[in-house]
Amino acid sequence: MSGEMLNEVSVLPAAVFLLPVFAGVIVFSATRLGRTFQQWISVLTAALVTGLGGWMAYRTLSGVALITWGRELRVDALSALMVVIISGIGLLASVYSTRYLGEGKTEGVSASRTRVFYGLLMWFLGTMLWGCVTNNVIMLYVAIEATTLTSGLLVAFYWDRRALEAGYKYLMLLTIGITFALFGCVLLYAGAASTHKLAGASALLISDIRGVVQFIPRGTAAITIAFLVIGFGTKAGIAPFHPWLPDAHAEAPTPVSVLLSGVMIKMAVYALARTVSIFYPAWPQITIFLVALGTLTMLLGIILALTQNDLKRLLAYSSVSQMGYVVAGIGLGTYLGCYGGLFHLLNHALYKSLLFMCVGAVMYATGARRISELGGLASRMPITSGCFFLGALALSGFPPLNGFWSKLTLYLAFAHAGLWWAAVIAILTSVLTTVVMVRAGYRVFWGKCVLEGAAAANPKGIPARMSVPMVVLAATCVLLGVFPQAPWPLLDRAATVLATLGR
Amino acid sequence: MSPNALHSGLIETLSLTMVITSVAAVETRRLRLSIFAYLCQALLIVGLLLSFAAVNKALYWWAATAFVTKAVLTPWFLFRAIRGVDDRELKPVIGFGPSTVIAALLMLSFFRLTHGQMAILSPTELGQLGVFRTNLAVASTVFALGLFAVLTRRDAIKTVIGLCLLENGVHLSLVSLAPALPETALFGVATEVVVTVFLLLYVIVGVRNVFGSTDTFELRELRW
Repeated sequence: MSGEMLNEVSVLPAAVFLLPVFAGVIVFSATRLGRTFQQWISVLTAALVTGLGGWMAYRTLSGVALITWGRELRVDALSALMVVIISGIGLLASVYSTRYLGEGKTEGVSASRTRVFYGLLMWFLGTMLWGCVTNNVIMLYVAIEATTLTSGLLVAFYWDRRALEAGYKYLMLLTIGITFALFGCVLLYAGAASTHKLAGASALLISDIRGVVQFIPRGTAAITIAFLVIGFGTKAGIAPFHPWLPDAHAEAPTPVSVLLSGVMIKMAVYALARTVSIFYPAWPQITIFLVALGTLTMLLGIILALTQNDLKRLLAYSSVSQMGYVVAGIGLGTYLGCYGGLFHLLNHALYKSLLFMCVGAVMYATGARRISELGGLASRMPITSGCFFLGALALSGFPPLNGFWSKLTLYLAFAHAGLWWAAVIAILTSVLTTVVMVRAGYRVFWGKCVLEGAAAANPKGIPARMSVPMVVLAATCVLLGVFPQAPWPLLDRAATVLATLGR
Repeated sequence: MSPNALHSGLIETLSLTMVITSVAAVETRRLRLSIFAYLCQALLIVGLLLSFAAVNKALYWWAATAFVTKAVLTPWFLFRAIRGVDDRELKPVIGFGPSTVIAALLMLSFFRLTHGQMAILSPTELGQLGVFRTNLAVASTVFALGLFAVLTRRDAIKTVIGLCLLENGVHLSLVSLAPALPETALFGVATEVVVTVFLLLYVIVGVRNVFGSTDTFELRELRW
């Protein structure tokens, strides 16, 4: 439990989010230096932050929580896990972007535009990391609103009809949605402050609120939870608050899609879990509500994905569906549920990033992204097609890939809690996911070639800086599938933080 | 920190004038007048924060930043976004008559609901005082009117004004949710949305250049 955890003062929690912010400032201010400089700064910063994240994760394994500025920032195993996922995917996405943005769809993009791109990309990473290391309930809201602001212009980066529409909807809907989370956070703070049981602890710090949450009046607690679920749920793409998600994830440049679908929505789930899980012991009824919301999301997401012709929108809807698994798992509140939810969160970050990168590679090579316009690419893009199928099978939960193990854990957790209906819906969704992904992959890579013009005869080769991140992610998916116990030490500690209902 | 130091009469008058400015900002079809109504509301909020500062000195700081962001920067950004174009709002989804009726119903129901359920909404003792009850009820009404504007207006600029109203409601309610706590002012400053408004208007000007209008009904490339 957090109360027994040892606190250790460290600068690492501050360093992980301040570094990208400073890197962003440097990129923005270095107006005279070219694109290569911007790219190097971004990749190096992301690599450095990944290293720091790994070191923090290692430190938290021994049971300490790293604190900075008088517990204002606090990193336990759960935060460390999120930092590692965000910075790792951020690193791969920035490596990928160096070639993707250099040519392809953005051919002729001037250095000033890429400056905006890399500057915002660094700030986007920094704000996401800030949200994961902060212990202050109001700053948690501020960090999440900041991720919306930093990514808003990245979503509209191409500045054409579709991108502008997606950017407008993204900024508008998320700002309104997240406002509810602000209400929730302030009520949580006011509720904790008015219990008069804090005894010197601060009502602003989540780790301190945890101890007094059972004294918050019932009505206040109910309305706080409702606001938090609506607010953070909107950001996480939970149905019925998901309509912004497919637009933004599909229209953003692919490296940004990777970050949006791969990590940003997870960070919102993290915020949701962090704040709502402290209520489980006093009000276990919430867990049923969250599991119901999660199962609704997974089923609705995959049904909408079935009808898609656009590859990126298909993947975006599948992200909605997969977030349903994570929310249902974490919402269960038991150790097994939280472990499965967090494991699935990690796995989804890996294979969804991989799939978006593959689709980006297809777009890079052919300039098309509609399933009906593509076909027969397997022989000309062997690495991309191999990676896509690995990702698709992992997403569908095929053994022995990583998705299988986390989904199995979740099914077992549902069954263990006696929620058979949830397990049945989860399995049904998994079957539908297989149908969606295999149909798309088959049509694009093996189906009849329908491409016209030069792109059909000779699609552009995929540069190494794009294929290496894909291969790294695919290899990680396989490795985690063969050795599912590898992330156990970290996931175990992280799940213990969330599993307030016990084992 | 004495609640008696509050000028209840003044606060209630300012609060209720807030509702009138909200209705004006939502229902006026001239964007210029609508922004002007918003500006008046921002000044009222500053006035309210100053009156509440009697129980919480930190609120003076917030009043100062709110003046800069809400009463100066936001209207300036809005005026700049409509400069040089016709400022008549595109016809909203709901006409003037039904819209006024809905707005009135929203006001009544939200005001009554919040006023009656104060014990749940504001857990602090100070929050139970009549003056904070009125304030929170007004805040939720402004919030509801803002949301109503965002949902039913076609003109993107008008939806941004709706968003500003909505955020004003949120900020006003923070005062009532946790009146005497020193950190309240910090929240107010930290949760300022002026950057959001700036970015939204930046994108909307882009929409106008590319689409030829700020009609959100034209934004129909992405369906399903």
